[in-house]
Amino acid sequence: MTPEEVGARLGGLVAGAEPSRSGGEEFARATVDVPPPAWPPALRAARDDPELAMDFFDWLTAVDEQADGFRVVAHLWSTRARHGVLIRTLLPPEAPAVGSVVDLYPGAAWHERETYEMFGVSFTGHPDLAPLLLPPEFEGHPLRKDFVLASRVAKPWPGAKEPGESHAGGGRRQPIRPPGVPAPGEWGPAPPAPPEGE
Amino acid sequence: MATLPAVLGEPIRFVLNWGRRYSLWVFNFGLACCAIEFIATSMGRHDFIRLGVIPFAHGPRQADLMVVSGTVTDKMAPAIRRLYDQMPEPKYVISFGACSNCGGPYWDSYSVTKGVDQIVPVDVYVPGCPPRPEALLHGILRLQEQITAEQSGLGGVSRPDPARFDPAALSAPLVPAPTAGG
Repeated sequence: MTPEEVGARLGGLVAGAEPSRSGGEEFARATVDVPPPAWPPALRAARDDPELAMDFFDWLTAVDEQADGFRVVAHLWSTRARHGVLIRTLLPPEAPAVGSVVDLYPGAAWHERETYEMFGVSFTGHPDLAPLLLPPEFEGHPLRKDFVLASRVAKPWPGAKEPGESHAGGGRRQPIRPPGVPAPGEWGPAPPAPPEGE
Repeated sequence: MATLPAVLGEPIRFVLNWGRRYSLWVFNFGLACCAIEFIATSMGRHDFIRLGVIPFAHGPRQADLMVVSGTVTDKMAPAIRRLYDQMPEPKYVISFGACSNCGGPYWDSYSVTKGVDQIVPVDVYVPGCPPRPEALLHGILRLQEQITAEQSGLGGVSRPDPARFDPAALSAPLVPAPTAGG
């Protein structure tokens, strides 16, 4: 089935779904955006439908869309029909939570644990949402875009260019800062106050 | 520790240092890509066994030299410290590669320890990403020169005692948020 057929079929099975096509030219996947309550039913429909037959759970992760919230993405693949689908849902930025799909795909357990510790997205119904990769005393959710990289505050980037900067006018314009790198003076201990009478 | 009388000391010191530097059993702490370069250095073309460095000690308790090769993460750091403590004296550490020297290309990561010398005392740093096998051979030769110059006596080699290395001295208090108008 072509990506358009996969997207149309899954869109017909799930209420509120919006199918589209991902990038990647001839390797494009059907991309289906569903509302958060329809997340586990959408994966169940993709797995149990005889035409789609998505029996292989590839990966699950999240994207920090900042003001829009968190987008949870899962890639499912059919080993028999050799087609895949990217199912996405957008969660609100405060207290993001979505249903767990561990009862559908047991392999999703570790993916959901990693997404929880890296982004703070909780999965209701997950048997054991413990951190997977980070040390136990780690605080915060590192892959969120507002997580500050303290090393970049302590020492500026020693290279000449950020991705996106042109070769000319590097010092004159406002330098582009990637997520996690605050402006100098914005984060960290305050500089000592100037002495009186300056 | 007692030092030997000068008339006897120098030849015995020379012989003891000679024996110690030409029979280094390596506890290879291979963590990442630099471990592959370490293995390449132990193989036929850049053999370091001909320098007396014997790879693959049976464990930290039978090793003299620990070569930390690869990225040190904060989760791995307690294990490195524990295995270093299990090595008997005299022991030496070579930090192999940019990641274990100073964090390397992952210096701004949230999970990387910026240099293994925050955890264990390092004798020789071998820079590179990854260093050439010849660079590791150079590092081993430098370490052997350091061992040649050591002052040893009946009590052992005179080196700072790593058992008194206090990791609590490295931790700093939490950074307070800047106040408005500061």
